Amino acid sequence: MASPVTRDQQTLDEALQQLVSESRPTLGPPARDPVNLPMIRHWCDAIEDMNPVYTDPVAASASIHAGIVAPPTMLQAWSMRGLERRPPTAATPVARNAGPTSLLHRAGYTSVVATDCEQEYKRYLRPGDLVTTESELESVSGEKRTALGDGYFVTTKTSYRDQTGEIVAEMRFRILWFKPRKVSGS
Amino acid sequence: MTALRPTRSFEEVRLGEQLPELVIELTPTRIISTAIASRDYQDVHHDRDLAQKKGSKDIFMNILSTNGLVGRFVTDWTGPEALLEHVAIRLGVPNYPYDSMRMTGVVESKQVAGDRGRIVVSIRGENALGDHVKGTVRLSLPLQNAR
Repeated sequence: MASPVTRDQQTLDEALQQLVSESRPTLGPPARDPVNLPMIRHWCDAIEDMNPVYTDPVAASASIHAGIVAPPTMLQAWSMRGLERRPPTAATPVARNAGPTSLLHRAGYTSVVATDCEQEYKRYLRPGDLVTTESELESVSGEKRTALGDGYFVTTKTSYRDQTGEIVAEMRFRILWFKPRKVSGS
Repeated sequence: MTALRPTRSFEEVRLGEQLPELVIELTPTRIISTAIASRDYQDVHHDRDLAQKKGSKDIFMNILSTNGLVGRFVTDWTGPEALLEHVAIRLGVPNYPYDSMRMTGVVESKQVAGDRGRIVVSIRGENALGDHVKGTVRLSLPLQNAR
C-alpha cells in the first residue's frame, strides 16, 4: 500500500472521494451513560442556562414536558467519548470518520476545527434515555484556502437513536482539517 | 422550586422583532467548563500550550458550547416552554479567552403549525475579531388560545 504522504494532491483527492462513495452508515457504541441529571446540571451551570425544565423536577413536572428534559443542544455530549481510555474494539470503532482523518493526517493536515453544525430534534431527551449514534461520511471537499491554512472540509451525517431504536435527532457536522498557516508560541 | 415563568406566545412575536442582546464573557473558565460539560476533551479547548503548538493563538470555545449558547440565547427570550426543533450554525472567527461575544437575533418567519406556532430566528454572535457564529433556530411556541 503506497504511503499517502508521497501521493500528489490529485491522488489524495481521489482517495478521499473513494472513501465518500464507499461510506455506509456505521453504528457507534452506545452512550457510556444514559441521559442523566448530573450531566445536565454541569452543562446548564457552564452555559448558564437557567431554564428550569432542565434541572428543576417540580417546575419541569408542571411544564409541557411533564418532567425533566435535557437541553436539546446538549445532544452530542451524550455520545462523546470524553477521556475514556477503554481501547476500541470491532464493535466500538474509534472514530466515525477514521478513514479521511488518517489520510489527511498523513498528508500533513493535522489541525482540526469544527465549522458547521446542523441539528434537527425529533423529541427532547429525558433522563434514562440511552443514545446510540449511526454515522456516515457525507462529503469531503477539495483543498480549500482558509484563514487558518489550506485544508479539507469533511462532512458527516449522524442519526441519534434511543434505546427503542427510534430516531430522536439528526445531525450534519462539518470539520476542517488544515495545515496551520503559522505556528505561534514556542 | 423555580416558578415556571410564562412562555412568550406565538401571537406575541412580531416578524422582524429583535431579540434582547446577550453578552457572554469569554473567560477561560467559561471556555473550559463548557468544553468539559460537553465531554469534549480536545486539548485546544483547555490547554493553551498545546493550542499554540497547533497554530492557535490561545484555547478556543468548542462548537458544542456555541450551540448550547445559541439555544440558551433564544430560550432566554421565549421562556421555558418553547420547543427547539432545528439549530443550524456556522462558525467564523474563534471565541478566545478574555474577549466577549455579543449575541443578537431577529425573527425571520412565523407560521401556525397545528396547535403550536413555528418561528425561525436568525442569530449572530460577534466578538472583537468579527462574527464567531451565524445561524438559524427553528422553534415552536404555544398559541394564545391554547394557553
